[in-house]
Amino acid sequence: MNLTLRKRYGIQNFLVLLPVLAVLVLGAGKVSAAACTEGDTAALKWLDKMAHSAREVDYQGVVTLQRGQDMKVMQVSHSVEDGSSRELLTELTGRGARVQRARHPLDCTHPGLQLLHVSPVDDSCGIAEQYRFEIAEGERVAGRKAITIRVKPRDLYRFGYVFSLDEATGLLLKVLTLNPAQRTLEVMQFAQLSYDAPSTVSAVADITHEAIHRGSPEFPDEAALISAWSLMWVPDGFTATEEPVGASPRKTYTDGLAAFSVFLETLDRDMPPGEGYVKQGGTTTYTRGMRLVDSPVLVTVIGEVPLSTARMVADSVRWVH
Amino acid sequence: MNEKSREALSALLDDEASELEIRRLLSESEMEPGSGAGLRDTWARYSAVKQVLQGHELAYRELDVSAQVREALHHEAGGKKSAKGRFYRPLASLAVAASVAATVVMGGQQLVQLGSGEIDAGKPAFVSVATPVGVLESAGAVPVMASYGTRSVPVLSPLTRTAYDDLARRRQDMYMQLHAEQSALNSPQGLLPFARVPRITE
Repeated sequence: MNLTLRKRYGIQNFLVLLPVLAVLVLGAGKVSAAACTEGDTAALKWLDKMAHSAREVDYQGVVTLQRGQDMKVMQVSHSVEDGSSRELLTELTGRGARVQRARHPLDCTHPGLQLLHVSPVDDSCGIAEQYRFEIAEGERVAGRKAITIRVKPRDLYRFGYVFSLDEATGLLLKVLTLNPAQRTLEVMQFAQLSYDAPSTVSAVADITHEAIHRGSPEFPDEAALISAWSLMWVPDGFTATEEPVGASPRKTYTDGLAAFSVFLETLDRDMPPGEGYVKQGGTTTYTRGMRLVDSPVLVTVIGEVPLSTARMVADSVRWVH
Repeated sequence: MNEKSREALSALLDDEASELEIRRLLSESEMEPGSGAGLRDTWARYSAVKQVLQGHELAYRELDVSAQVREALHHEAGGKKSAKGRFYRPLASLAVAASVAATVVMGGQQLVQLGSGEIDAGKPAFVSVATPVGVLESAGAVPVMASYGTRSVPVLSPLTRTAYDDLARRRQDMYMQLHAEQSALNSPQGLLPFARVPRITE
Protein backbone atom coordinates (compact mmCIF):
# COMPACT_ATOMS: atom_id res chain seq x y z
CA MET A 1 0.00 0.00 0.00
CA ASN A 2 2.76 2.36 0.96
CA LEU A 3 4.59 1.51 -2.17
CA THR A 4 1.57 2.19 -4.30
CA LEU A 5 1.07 5.55 -2.69
CA ARG A 6 4.67 6.50 -3.14
CA LYS A 7 4.57 5.60 -6.77
CA ARG A 8 1.47 7.59 -7.39
CA TYR A 9 2.74 10.68 -5.72
CA GLY A 10 5.91 10.36 -7.69
CA ILE A 11 3.84 10.65 -10.82
CA GLN A 12 1.84 13.48 -9.36
CA ASN A 13 4.92 15.41 -8.48
CA PHE A 14 6.22 14.92 -11.93
CA LEU A 15 3.08 16.13 -13.59
CA VAL A 16 2.79 19.04 -11.28
CA LEU A 17 6.34 20.17 -11.72
CA LEU A 18 6.18 20.12 -15.43
CA PRO A 19 4.55 23.50 -15.80
CA VAL A 20 6.73 25.03 -13.07
CA LEU A 21 9.71 24.22 -15.14
CA ALA A 22 8.07 25.43 -18.26
CA VAL A 23 7.73 28.84 -16.68
CA LEU A 24 11.24 28.84 -15.30
CA VAL A 25 12.61 27.88 -18.63
CA LEU A 26 10.75 30.62 -20.27
CA GLY A 27 12.00 33.18 -17.85
CA ALA A 28 15.57 32.03 -17.67
CA GLY A 29 16.20 30.38 -20.95
CA LYS A 30 15.01 32.90 -23.46
CA VAL A 31 17.93 34.24 -25.40
CA SER A 32 18.12 36.94 -27.96
CA ALA A 33 18.93 36.00 -31.49
CA ALA A 34 21.82 38.40 -31.53
CA ALA A 35 23.74 36.60 -28.79
CA CYS A 36 26.19 35.00 -31.17
CA THR A 37 29.50 34.98 -29.38
CA GLU A 38 32.93 34.33 -30.77
CA GLY A 39 33.01 30.94 -29.04
CA ASP A 40 29.74 30.05 -30.71
CA THR A 41 31.06 31.07 -34.10
CA ALA A 42 34.11 28.85 -33.71
CA ALA A 43 31.95 25.93 -32.62
CA LEU A 44 29.53 26.50 -35.48
CA LYS A 45 32.42 26.20 -37.90
CA TRP A 46 33.34 22.87 -36.37
CA LEU A 47 29.75 21.66 -36.57
CA ASP A 48 29.64 22.72 -40.20
CA LYS A 49 32.78 20.73 -40.86
CA MET A 50 31.31 17.80 -38.97
CA ALA A 51 28.14 17.86 -41.07
CA HIS A 52 30.20 17.93 -44.27
CA SER A 53 32.51 15.11 -43.27
CA ALA A 54 29.54 12.98 -42.22
CA ARG A 55 28.40 13.03 -45.83
CA GLU A 56 31.59 13.35 -47.83
CA VAL A 57 34.35 11.35 -46.17
CA ASP A 58 35.16 7.67 -46.76
CA TYR A 59 35.58 5.75 -43.53
CA GLN A 60 35.02 2.44 -41.86
CA GLY A 61 35.25 1.34 -38.29
CA VAL A 62 33.75 -0.21 -35.21
CA VAL A 63 31.36 1.76 -33.03
CA THR A 64 30.09 0.99 -29.55
CA LEU A 65 26.87 2.21 -27.97
CA GLN A 66 26.77 2.05 -24.21
CA ARG A 67 23.58 2.60 -22.28
CA GLY A 68 23.85 1.74 -18.60
CA GLN A 69 25.11 -1.82 -18.39
CA ASP A 70 24.15 -2.56 -21.96
CA MET A 71 26.76 -2.40 -24.72
CA LYS A 72 26.14 -2.79 -28.44
CA VAL A 73 28.93 -3.10 -30.99
CA MET A 74 28.53 -2.27 -34.67
CA GLN A 75 30.64 -2.15 -37.77
CA VAL A 76 30.01 0.89 -39.92
CA SER A 77 31.24 2.11 -43.25
CA HIS A 78 30.63 5.11 -45.47
CA SER A 79 31.88 5.67 -48.99
CA VAL A 80 31.23 8.13 -51.76
CA GLU A 81 31.23 7.25 -55.42
CA ASP A 82 29.85 9.14 -58.41
CA GLY A 83 28.15 11.76 -56.33
CA SER A 84 26.26 9.35 -54.07
CA SER A 85 27.08 7.79 -50.76
CA ARG A 86 26.82 4.22 -49.69
CA GLU A 87 26.44 3.44 -46.01
CA LEU A 88 26.45 0.21 -44.10
CA LEU A 89 25.87 -0.66 -40.46
CA THR A 90 26.20 -4.23 -39.24
CA GLU A 91 25.47 -5.30 -35.68
CA LEU A 92 28.36 -7.35 -34.30
CA THR A 93 26.41 -8.17 -31.16
CA GLY A 94 22.82 -9.29 -30.67
CA ARG A 95 21.00 -10.44 -33.77
CA GLY A 96 23.62 -9.27 -36.21
CA ALA A 97 21.18 -7.35 -38.38
CA ARG A 98 22.38 -5.01 -41.11
CA VAL A 99 21.19 -1.66 -42.39
CA GLN A 100 22.31 -0.33 -45.71
CA ARG A 101 21.61 2.81 -47.64
CA ALA A 102 22.91 2.78 -51.15
CA ARG A 103 22.89 5.56 -53.74
CA HIS A 104 22.08 8.49 -51.49
CA PRO A 105 22.88 11.53 -53.67
CA LEU A 106 25.26 13.96 -52.00
CA ASP A 107 23.15 16.91 -53.07
CA CYS A 108 20.19 15.44 -51.22
CA THR A 109 20.59 17.07 -47.83
CA HIS A 110 17.95 16.80 -45.17
CA PRO A 111 16.96 19.56 -42.72
CA GLY A 112 18.92 18.12 -39.80
CA LEU A 113 22.26 18.58 -41.52
CA GLN A 114 21.25 21.87 -43.05
CA LEU A 115 20.69 23.20 -39.55
CA LEU A 116 24.34 22.46 -38.80
CA HIS A 117 25.65 24.35 -41.81
CA VAL A 118 26.84 27.87 -41.13
CA SER A 119 24.97 30.39 -43.21
CA PRO A 120 26.96 33.62 -43.36
CA VAL A 121 24.15 35.58 -45.03
CA ASP A 122 21.88 34.93 -42.13
CA ASP A 123 22.61 37.04 -39.07
CA SER A 124 21.09 34.40 -36.83
CA CYS A 125 23.36 32.12 -34.86
CA GLY A 126 21.61 29.04 -36.14
CA ILE A 127 21.83 26.22 -33.71
CA ALA A 128 23.71 28.41 -31.21
CA GLU A 129 20.34 29.91 -30.36
CA GLN A 130 19.38 26.58 -28.85
CA TYR A 131 22.72 25.45 -27.45
CA ARG A 132 25.81 26.97 -25.87
CA PHE A 133 29.16 25.61 -27.00
CA GLU A 134 32.55 25.33 -25.39
CA ILE A 135 35.51 24.04 -27.32
CA ALA A 136 38.29 22.27 -25.48
CA GLU A 137 41.24 20.13 -26.28
CA GLY A 138 40.19 16.53 -26.44
CA GLU A 139 41.72 13.16 -25.79
CA ARG A 140 42.23 10.49 -28.35
CA VAL A 141 39.24 8.55 -29.62
CA ALA A 142 39.88 5.42 -31.67
CA GLY A 143 43.50 6.49 -31.94
CA ARG A 144 42.60 9.85 -33.52
CA LYS A 145 43.40 13.20 -31.99
CA ALA A 146 40.11 14.83 -31.15
CA ILE A 147 38.76 18.18 -30.09
CA THR A 148 35.93 18.35 -27.58
CA ILE A 149 32.82 20.46 -27.93
CA ARG A 150 30.64 20.69 -24.85
CA VAL A 151 27.10 21.33 -25.98
CA LYS A 152 24.73 22.75 -23.38
CA PRO A 153 21.08 23.34 -24.15
CA ARG A 154 19.79 26.85 -23.47
CA ASP A 155 16.45 25.47 -22.29
CA LEU A 156 15.20 22.30 -20.67
CA TYR A 157 13.60 20.83 -23.75
CA ARG A 158 16.68 19.02 -25.00
CA PHE A 159 19.66 17.10 -23.75
CA GLY A 160 23.28 18.21 -23.57
CA TYR A 161 26.17 16.53 -25.31
CA VAL A 162 29.90 16.21 -25.29
CA PHE A 163 31.13 15.76 -28.85
CA SER A 164 34.58 14.57 -29.81
CA LEU A 165 35.47 15.48 -33.38
CA ASP A 166 38.45 14.26 -35.33
CA GLU A 167 40.78 17.24 -35.34
CA ALA A 168 41.83 16.54 -38.91
CA THR A 169 38.55 15.63 -40.61
CA GLY A 170 35.81 16.90 -38.29
CA LEU A 171 34.20 13.47 -38.22
CA LEU A 172 32.10 12.91 -35.11
CA LEU A 173 34.00 10.24 -33.17
CA LYS A 174 32.24 10.21 -29.85
CA VAL A 175 28.96 11.48 -28.43
CA LEU A 176 28.10 11.59 -24.76
CA THR A 177 24.44 12.37 -24.10
CA LEU A 178 23.78 14.15 -20.80
CA ASN A 179 20.50 14.81 -19.08
CA PRO A 180 20.01 18.25 -17.50
CA ALA A 181 21.33 16.92 -14.21
CA GLN A 182 24.56 16.09 -16.09
CA ARG A 183 24.06 12.36 -15.77
CA THR A 184 25.37 10.40 -18.74
CA LEU A 185 22.51 8.71 -20.56
CA GLU A 186 24.49 7.04 -23.30
CA VAL A 187 27.88 7.02 -24.98
CA MET A 188 28.38 6.26 -28.65
CA GLN A 189 31.95 6.14 -29.92
CA PHE A 190 34.30 4.75 -32.48
CA ALA A 191 36.51 2.05 -30.99
CA GLN A 192 38.41 1.68 -34.24
CA LEU A 193 38.43 3.86 -37.33
CA SER A 194 40.19 4.07 -40.67
CA TYR A 195 39.73 6.48 -43.52
CA ASP A 196 40.25 3.90 -46.23
CA ALA A 197 37.56 3.20 -48.70
CA PRO A 198 35.54 0.38 -47.14
CA SER A 199 36.79 -3.05 -48.02
CA THR A 200 34.48 -5.97 -48.55
CA VAL A 201 32.13 -6.52 -45.66
CA SER A 202 33.50 -9.07 -43.27
CA ALA A 203 30.61 -9.47 -40.85
CA VAL A 204 27.74 -11.73 -41.85
CA ALA A 205 24.14 -10.63 -41.50
CA ASP A 206 20.91 -12.62 -41.67
CA ILE A 207 18.62 -9.63 -41.73
CA THR A 208 19.21 -6.67 -44.00
CA HIS A 209 17.18 -3.50 -43.89
CA GLU A 210 17.34 -1.17 -46.87
CA ALA A 211 17.20 2.34 -45.47
CA ILE A 212 15.32 4.91 -47.49
CA HIS A 213 16.20 8.51 -48.10
CA ARG A 214 12.85 9.92 -49.02
CA GLY A 215 9.21 9.05 -48.91
CA SER A 216 7.56 7.10 -46.19
CA PRO A 217 6.68 3.68 -47.49
CA GLU A 218 6.55 2.08 -44.14
CA PHE A 219 2.92 2.27 -43.08
CA PRO A 220 0.32 -0.26 -44.16
CA ASP A 221 -2.98 1.09 -45.48
CA GLU A 222 -4.90 0.34 -42.31
CA ALA A 223 -2.72 2.84 -40.45
CA ALA A 224 -4.05 5.67 -42.61
CA LEU A 225 -5.71 8.35 -40.54
CA ILE A 226 -9.16 9.80 -40.93
CA SER A 227 -7.88 13.34 -41.03
CA ALA A 228 -4.78 15.50 -41.20
CA TRP A 229 -3.25 16.43 -37.88
CA SER A 230 -0.60 18.74 -36.60
CA LEU A 231 1.30 19.75 -33.51
CA MET A 232 0.46 23.05 -31.88
CA TRP A 233 3.80 23.18 -30.13
CA VAL A 234 7.36 22.00 -30.59
CA PRO A 235 10.34 23.49 -28.77
CA ASP A 236 12.04 26.44 -30.48
CA GLY A 237 14.49 25.41 -33.16
CA PHE A 238 12.82 22.11 -34.04
CA THR A 239 11.78 21.78 -37.64
CA ALA A 240 9.96 19.05 -39.56
CA THR A 241 12.26 16.64 -41.36
CA GLU A 242 9.96 16.38 -44.38
CA GLU A 243 7.34 18.34 -46.22
CA PRO A 244 4.19 17.99 -44.14
CA VAL A 245 2.10 15.02 -45.11
CA GLY A 246 -1.06 15.78 -43.19
CA ALA A 247 -2.59 12.37 -42.69
CA SER A 248 0.64 10.40 -42.36
CA PRO A 249 0.71 8.57 -39.04
CA ARG A 250 4.25 9.85 -38.35
CA LYS A 251 5.88 13.26 -38.16
CA THR A 252 9.54 13.79 -37.27
CA TYR A 253 11.22 16.96 -36.03
CA THR A 254 14.88 17.84 -35.52
CA ASP A 255 16.89 20.74 -34.14
CA GLY A 256 20.04 19.51 -35.86
CA LEU A 257 21.33 17.55 -32.89
CA ALA A 258 18.24 15.86 -31.48
CA ALA A 259 15.22 14.36 -33.20
CA PHE A 260 11.83 13.09 -32.12
CA SER A 261 9.00 11.42 -33.99
CA VAL A 262 5.32 11.61 -33.20
CA PHE A 263 3.02 8.72 -34.11
CA LEU A 264 -0.74 9.00 -34.10
CA GLU A 265 -3.06 5.99 -34.09
CA THR A 266 -6.81 6.15 -34.09
CA LEU A 267 -8.42 3.49 -31.93
CA ASP A 268 -11.61 1.70 -32.85
CA ARG A 269 -12.88 1.86 -29.30
CA ASP A 270 -12.37 3.86 -26.16
CA MET A 271 -9.69 2.89 -23.72
CA PRO A 272 -9.06 4.41 -20.32
CA PRO A 273 -7.17 7.64 -20.90
CA GLY A 274 -3.67 7.69 -19.50
CA GLU A 275 0.02 7.90 -20.16
CA GLY A 276 3.12 5.77 -19.84
CA TYR A 277 6.74 5.96 -20.77
CA VAL A 278 9.97 4.05 -21.08
CA LYS A 279 13.46 5.50 -21.16
CA GLN A 280 16.41 3.74 -22.66
CA GLY A 281 19.71 5.58 -22.78
CA GLY A 282 18.99 8.89 -24.44
CA THR A 283 15.74 7.69 -25.98
CA THR A 284 12.39 8.47 -24.42
CA THR A 285 9.19 6.80 -25.52
CA TYR A 286 6.03 8.43 -24.23
CA THR A 287 2.58 7.07 -25.02
CA ARG A 288 -0.63 8.88 -24.29
CA GLY A 289 -4.17 7.63 -24.73
CA MET A 290 -6.80 10.34 -25.06
CA ARG A 291 -9.77 11.59 -27.07
CA LEU A 292 -9.16 13.97 -29.91
CA VAL A 293 -12.50 15.60 -30.56
CA ASP A 294 -14.64 12.46 -30.95
CA SER A 295 -12.04 9.87 -31.74
CA PRO A 296 -10.04 7.91 -29.21
CA VAL A 297 -6.38 8.10 -30.19
CA LEU A 298 -3.01 6.90 -29.04
CA VAL A 299 -0.16 9.39 -29.39
CA THR A 300 3.41 8.17 -29.09
CA VAL A 301 6.41 10.47 -28.99
CA ILE A 302 9.72 8.74 -29.40
CA GLY A 303 13.08 10.46 -29.55
CA GLU A 304 16.24 11.75 -27.99
CA VAL A 305 14.54 14.39 -25.86
CA PRO A 306 13.59 14.66 -22.18
CA LEU A 307 10.32 13.16 -21.01
CA SER A 308 8.86 16.60 -20.34
CA THR A 309 9.37 17.58 -23.98
CA ALA A 310 7.76 14.39 -25.23
CA ARG A 311 4.81 14.97 -22.96
CA MET A 312 4.21 18.54 -24.01
CA VAL A 313 4.49 17.61 -27.67
CA ALA A 314 1.98 14.78 -27.27
CA ASP A 315 -0.31 17.16 -25.47
CA SER A 316 -0.36 19.52 -28.43
CA VAL A 317 -1.61 17.10 -31.09
CA ARG A 318 -4.72 18.38 -32.89
CA TRP A 319 -6.78 17.42 -35.89
CA VAL A 320 -6.60 19.89 -38.73
CA HIS A 321 -9.98 20.69 -40.24
CA MET B 1 19.00 31.08 -10.95
CA ASN B 2 22.30 29.39 -11.56
CA GLU B 3 23.09 26.43 -13.75
CA LYS B 4 23.06 24.01 -10.85
CA SER B 5 19.63 25.04 -9.74
CA ARG B 6 18.33 24.68 -13.24
CA GLU B 7 19.74 21.22 -13.32
CA ALA B 8 18.21 20.35 -10.00
CA LEU B 9 14.85 21.64 -11.14
CA SER B 10 15.12 19.68 -14.26
CA ALA B 11 16.00 16.59 -12.32
CA LEU B 12 12.86 17.21 -10.34
CA LEU B 13 11.00 17.22 -13.55
CA ASP B 14 12.37 13.90 -14.57
CA ASP B 15 11.47 12.52 -11.20
CA GLU B 16 15.13 12.06 -10.50
CA ALA B 17 15.87 14.74 -7.97
CA SER B 18 16.86 13.76 -4.50
CA GLU B 19 15.27 15.38 -1.52
CA LEU B 20 18.66 16.94 -0.89
CA GLU B 21 18.54 18.72 -4.21
CA ILE B 22 15.07 20.06 -3.51
CA ARG B 23 16.21 21.36 -0.16
CA ARG B 24 19.24 22.99 -1.71
CA LEU B 25 17.04 24.73 -4.24
CA LEU B 26 14.83 26.03 -1.52
CA SER B 27 17.59 27.34 0.65
CA GLU B 28 19.07 29.03 -2.36
CA SER B 29 15.86 30.78 -3.21
CA GLU B 30 15.80 32.04 0.35
CA MET B 31 19.39 33.17 0.38
CA GLU B 32 19.25 35.32 -2.70
CA PRO B 33 15.90 37.00 -2.67
CA GLY B 34 17.03 39.90 -4.82
CA SER B 35 19.11 38.06 -7.36
CA GLY B 36 16.48 38.26 -10.02
CA ALA B 37 16.65 34.59 -10.58
CA GLY B 38 15.27 32.83 -7.54
CA LEU B 39 12.16 30.76 -7.30
CA ARG B 40 10.35 33.73 -5.87
CA ASP B 41 11.34 36.01 -8.67
CA THR B 42 10.11 33.44 -11.05
CA TRP B 43 6.81 33.93 -9.38
CA ALA B 44 6.90 37.57 -10.40
CA ARG B 45 7.04 36.59 -14.03
CA TYR B 46 3.62 35.08 -13.80
CA SER B 47 2.19 38.53 -13.96
CA ALA B 48 3.33 38.54 -17.56
CA VAL B 49 0.73 35.94 -18.35
CA LYS B 50 -1.99 37.53 -16.31
CA GLN B 51 -3.99 38.49 -19.33
CA VAL B 52 -4.41 34.85 -20.14
CA LEU B 53 -6.16 34.46 -16.89
CA GLN B 54 -8.62 37.24 -17.56
CA GLY B 55 -11.87 36.51 -15.89
CA HIS B 56 -10.21 34.19 -13.44
CA GLU B 57 -9.48 35.15 -9.90
CA LEU B 58 -5.77 35.23 -9.19
CA ALA B 59 -6.36 33.90 -5.76
CA TYR B 60 -2.96 32.38 -5.39
CA ARG B 61 -0.88 35.33 -6.39
CA GLU B 62 0.39 36.04 -2.93
CA LEU B 63 1.35 32.49 -2.25
CA ASP B 64 4.90 31.92 -1.09
CA VAL B 65 5.80 28.78 -2.91
CA SER B 66 9.01 27.90 -1.28
CA ALA B 67 7.57 28.16 2.20
CA GLN B 68 4.85 25.71 1.33
CA VAL B 69 7.17 23.28 -0.31
CA ARG B 70 9.47 23.51 2.64
CA GLU B 71 6.67 22.81 5.02
CA ALA B 72 5.58 19.85 2.98
CA LEU B 73 9.10 18.52 2.95
CA HIS B 74 9.27 18.97 6.65
CA HIS B 75 6.28 16.72 7.00
CA GLU B 76 7.79 14.27 4.60
CA ALA B 77 10.91 14.11 6.68
CA GLY B 78 8.76 13.56 9.74
CA GLY B 79 7.08 10.71 7.98
CA LYS B 80 10.18 8.66 8.20
CA LYS B 81 10.39 8.99 11.94
CA SER B 82 7.01 8.79 13.56
CA ALA B 83 3.59 7.30 13.14
CA LYS B 84 2.19 10.79 13.12
CA GLY B 85 4.57 11.63 10.34
CA ARG B 86 3.49 8.64 8.36
CA PHE B 87 0.00 9.90 8.62
CA TYR B 88 1.17 13.23 7.26
CA ARG B 89 3.15 11.81 4.44
CA PRO B 90 0.36 11.61 1.87
CA LEU B 91 -0.80 15.03 2.95
CA ALA B 92 2.67 16.35 2.58
CA SER B 93 2.93 15.02 -0.94
CA LEU B 94 -0.32 16.67 -1.76
CA ALA B 95 0.91 19.89 -0.27
CA VAL B 96 4.05 19.77 -2.33
CA ALA B 97 2.02 19.12 -5.39
CA ALA B 98 -0.52 21.77 -4.62
CA SER B 99 1.85 24.50 -3.64
CA VAL B 100 4.06 23.98 -6.59
CA ALA B 101 1.17 23.69 -8.98
CA ALA B 102 -0.47 26.78 -7.68
CA THR B 103 2.58 28.75 -8.59
CA VAL B 104 2.68 27.53 -12.01
CA VAL B 105 -0.52 27.41 -13.62
CA MET B 106 0.12 29.16 -16.83
CA GLY B 107 3.38 27.66 -17.95
CA GLY B 108 1.94 25.66 -20.76
CA GLN B 109 -0.37 28.33 -22.02
CA GLN B 110 2.38 30.89 -22.13
CA LEU B 111 4.54 28.53 -24.10
CA VAL B 112 1.72 27.93 -26.44
CA GLN B 113 1.31 31.56 -27.13
CA LEU B 114 4.95 32.15 -27.70
CA GLY B 115 5.62 29.00 -29.57
CA SER B 116 3.37 29.06 -32.56
CA GLY B 117 0.99 31.12 -34.52
CA GLU B 118 -1.54 28.37 -34.74
CA ILE B 119 -2.75 28.67 -31.24
CA ASP B 120 -6.18 29.69 -30.22
CA ALA B 121 -4.87 32.09 -27.64
CA GLY B 122 -8.16 33.67 -26.95
CA LYS B 123 -9.53 30.64 -25.28
CA PRO B 124 -7.32 29.39 -22.50
CA ALA B 125 -8.71 26.08 -21.43
CA PHE B 126 -8.37 24.91 -17.91
CA VAL B 127 -8.27 21.57 -16.29
CA SER B 128 -11.49 21.61 -14.49
CA VAL B 129 -11.97 17.97 -13.67
CA ALA B 130 -10.02 15.61 -11.51
CA THR B 131 -6.42 15.38 -12.58
CA PRO B 132 -3.38 13.64 -11.26
CA VAL B 133 -2.87 16.96 -9.67
CA GLY B 134 -6.49 17.07 -8.69
CA VAL B 135 -5.40 18.15 -5.26
CA LEU B 136 -5.14 21.60 -6.68
CA GLU B 137 -8.73 22.41 -6.36
CA SER B 138 -9.11 20.82 -2.99
CA ALA B 139 -6.22 22.98 -1.87
CA GLY B 140 -8.17 26.05 -2.77
CA ALA B 141 -6.27 27.07 -5.86
CA VAL B 142 -8.05 27.97 -9.04
CA PRO B 143 -8.15 25.23 -11.65
CA VAL B 144 -4.87 25.05 -13.44
CA MET B 145 -3.49 23.84 -16.67
CA ALA B 146 -1.42 20.74 -16.86
CA SER B 147 1.68 21.27 -18.95
CA TYR B 148 0.81 22.30 -22.49
CA GLY B 149 -2.56 21.26 -21.42
CA THR B 150 -5.78 22.24 -22.88
CA ARG B 151 -7.10 18.88 -21.96
CA SER B 152 -7.71 17.24 -18.67
CA VAL B 153 -5.14 14.76 -17.54
CA PRO B 154 -6.74 11.60 -16.26
CA VAL B 155 -6.30 10.12 -12.83
CA LEU B 156 -4.44 6.89 -13.25
CA SER B 157 -4.92 3.85 -11.15
CA PRO B 158 -1.63 2.03 -10.58
CA LEU B 159 -2.98 -0.68 -12.86
CA THR B 160 -3.61 1.72 -15.73
CA ARG B 161 -0.20 3.23 -15.16
CA THR B 162 1.51 -0.13 -15.51
CA ALA B 163 -0.55 -0.97 -18.55
CA TYR B 164 0.46 2.29 -20.18
CA ASP B 165 4.13 1.78 -19.41
CA ASP B 166 3.86 -1.63 -21.08
CA LEU B 167 2.11 -0.03 -24.00
CA ALA B 168 4.91 2.54 -24.29
CA ARG B 169 7.44 -0.29 -24.34
CA ARG B 170 5.55 -2.05 -27.14
CA ARG B 171 5.29 1.20 -29.09
CA GLN B 172 9.02 1.69 -28.68
CA ASP B 173 9.66 -1.70 -30.27
CA MET B 174 7.15 -0.94 -32.98
CA TYR B 175 8.24 2.59 -33.89
CA MET B 176 11.92 2.87 -33.01
CA GLN B 177 13.10 1.79 -36.42
CA LEU B 178 10.83 4.30 -38.17
CA HIS B 179 12.17 7.02 -35.94
CA ALA B 180 15.76 5.91 -36.54
CA GLU B 181 15.17 5.98 -40.28
CA GLN B 182 14.33 9.69 -40.17
CA SER B 183 16.87 10.39 -37.51
CA ALA B 184 19.63 8.81 -39.59
CA LEU B 185 18.86 11.12 -42.50
CA ASN B 186 19.08 14.15 -40.26
CA SER B 187 22.00 13.22 -38.07
CA PRO B 188 25.73 13.89 -38.44
CA GLN B 189 26.25 10.26 -37.47
CA GLY B 190 25.12 8.51 -40.61
CA LEU B 191 23.28 5.29 -39.90
CA LEU B 192 24.23 5.21 -36.23
CA PRO B 193 20.76 6.13 -34.95
CA PHE B 194 19.81 2.60 -36.04
CA ALA B 195 22.03 1.36 -33.23
CA ARG B 196 19.25 2.34 -30.83
CA VAL B 197 16.68 0.13 -32.53
CA PRO B 198 15.96 -2.84 -30.27
CA ARG B 199 15.16 -5.18 -33.17
CA ILE B 200 16.08 -4.20 -36.70
CA THR B 201 13.69 -5.72 -39.22
CA GLU B 202 13.67 -5.81 -42.99
